[in-house]
This record gives sequence, C-alpha cells and structure tokens, in this order.
Amino acid sequence: MKATHPSIRVTVGHQPPQAAAPGAFAEASPELQQAFTPPIDIHEGPDGLTLEADLPGATEANLIIQLEDNVLSLHARIEPPAPEGARTLHEEYHVGDYYRSFILSDEVDRERITAELRNGVLRLVLPKADRARARRIEIRS
Amino acid sequence: MNGTQWQGRWDPLRELQREVGRLFNGLDPFQPLRNVRQYPPVNVYDAGEGYILSAQLPGVAVEEVELTITGETLTMRGERKRPEGVKDDSYRRQERPVGRWSRTITLPDRVDSTQVSATFTNGILTVNLPKAENARPRHIAVNSGS
Repeated sequence: MKATHPSIRVTVGHQPPQAAAPGAFAEASPELQQAFTPPIDIHEGPDGLTLEADLPGATEANLIIQLEDNVLSLHARIEPPAPEGARTLHEEYHVGDYYRSFILSDEVDRERITAELRNGVLRLVLPKADRARARRIEIRS
Repeated sequence: MNGTQWQGRWDPLRELQREVGRLFNGLDPFQPLRNVRQYPPVNVYDAGEGYILSAQLPGVAVEEVELTITGETLTMRGERKRPEGVKDDSYRRQERPVGRWSRTITLPDRVDSTQVSATFTNGILTVNLPKAENARPRHIAVNSGS
C-alpha cells in the first residue's frame, strides 16, 4: 500500500487568479501586478503541514485567504506606514500588497485549515485528511 | 556494439572547462555586493517635525529588539529565532531569514534623543525621531530698523 502525504505545490512567480477566482479578486486584479511575493516556510509534522508567511504590515482586516478548488491564495493589502506628506529619504523596501498562491493536494483536510496572524507572520495549519493519516486498525476477537 | 555515438561521449576536457568556469564564477569578488540585502530593510521618512524610521521585522517580539540612539546614529539589534520544535528535515521549503541581525543607521540630522519613541505593530518597527531643537528650521523675524 502506498502511503499518502499531504503536499503543497508552490506556484512560481506571480499568478493572480484572474480566471480561477473571478469573484473577490476581480476588481483588484490590476493592482495585483505590483504585489510582492512574501517569503514562506513549509514544514511537515505528523498531523499535517504548517505554512508560515512573512507579511509585515498585514492586519486581520486587510488579509484575504481564499481557497478555491485546490488553490489556496493569500492577499494582503498594506497601508503606507508614513503619514501623508512625509518625504521619503531612504527606501530599502517598497510598501505594497502581498500575494501568493499554492496548490493543495487532496490529502489536506480543507475543512480544518486554520489561520493565525501574529507579529506580521501568517501561520496556516493544513491538517492531513483522515484517510491520509496513518491508522491502526484494531482486530476484534 | 562497436563505436558509441560521439555526441554522447564523455569528454573530460569539457567537464574540466565547466568546473573551472564554475570555480571562477564563485571567485567573483563583487558577488556579495551584487545581491547585498541588508536585514532588516529600513525606510526613513521626513515628516517635517521629525524623522520616521520603519523596519520590516516580521515574527520578532518587542522584547527581542534592542534600540539605542546616540546623536545622529541609531542602532538596532536582535535575533529572529527559528521556530521551536521544528526539525530541520521536516522543512519542505525555507525562505524566511533567521538569525542575529543588527543595523546602524546614520540620520540626516541631530535628533532629540529624549523624545524618541518606538512602536512595534504587525511586524513593523516604527521609530519616531523628533528633530533636535537646533536642527529644526527657525523663522527669524526681521525688524524694520525704525
């Protein structure tokens, strides 16, 4: 028997889901061209996968996590940190939205995905679906 | 079978050439400068009354940041720890930087170090640096000599 593991495929480059998700992102599409790809970590535990993304400046109110078919996407709108009228003297990072999408395998239990945003880090827990988890079958006498 | 195809033949010289090429690429003295990226990235704004410095430090807690200011120099240092209890071999992808960091920023002008305040929200460190009294533009009233 083949053991199944939940997997996540990270799409390379910007792929705003213009065709895949016409709903919530339709009007935001032109702006998505300037969105930044946030760095992520993915690690696997016994119960599933954990995905962490650096989204400095993101708040719960301006972060959209969407799961459509097998595509999980995150989009954070970022407000400029400086008050209006302030002059930029030195710039090492550009202020802009974050966007990234992932392709989930069937072994991820979509219903139990949880998200937590803390100190600008999004932590997504992608639990293994029951059938993908190793099970021991008791033999009744 | 006699005679293998010449295209597929192993050519030790070609291999060597490739190795040497790779070696020289690695010796490029400007390589570290080409993709230099300071951590954390810092922006500085001039808001008239003072300067605003913002730094992207996601995943760092307030108590893990040390901020010092002397005259026109601001130093910040800290450490971004690896998440605890995660084994190295369990990583499927690792793009986020970890480790000790420190930055020293020279400000364009003197600041009032007693009035400096800092906030840390959503992974962005914001430091408000009011300009020193003598660094602010001053209006000088001109009296008519009557």
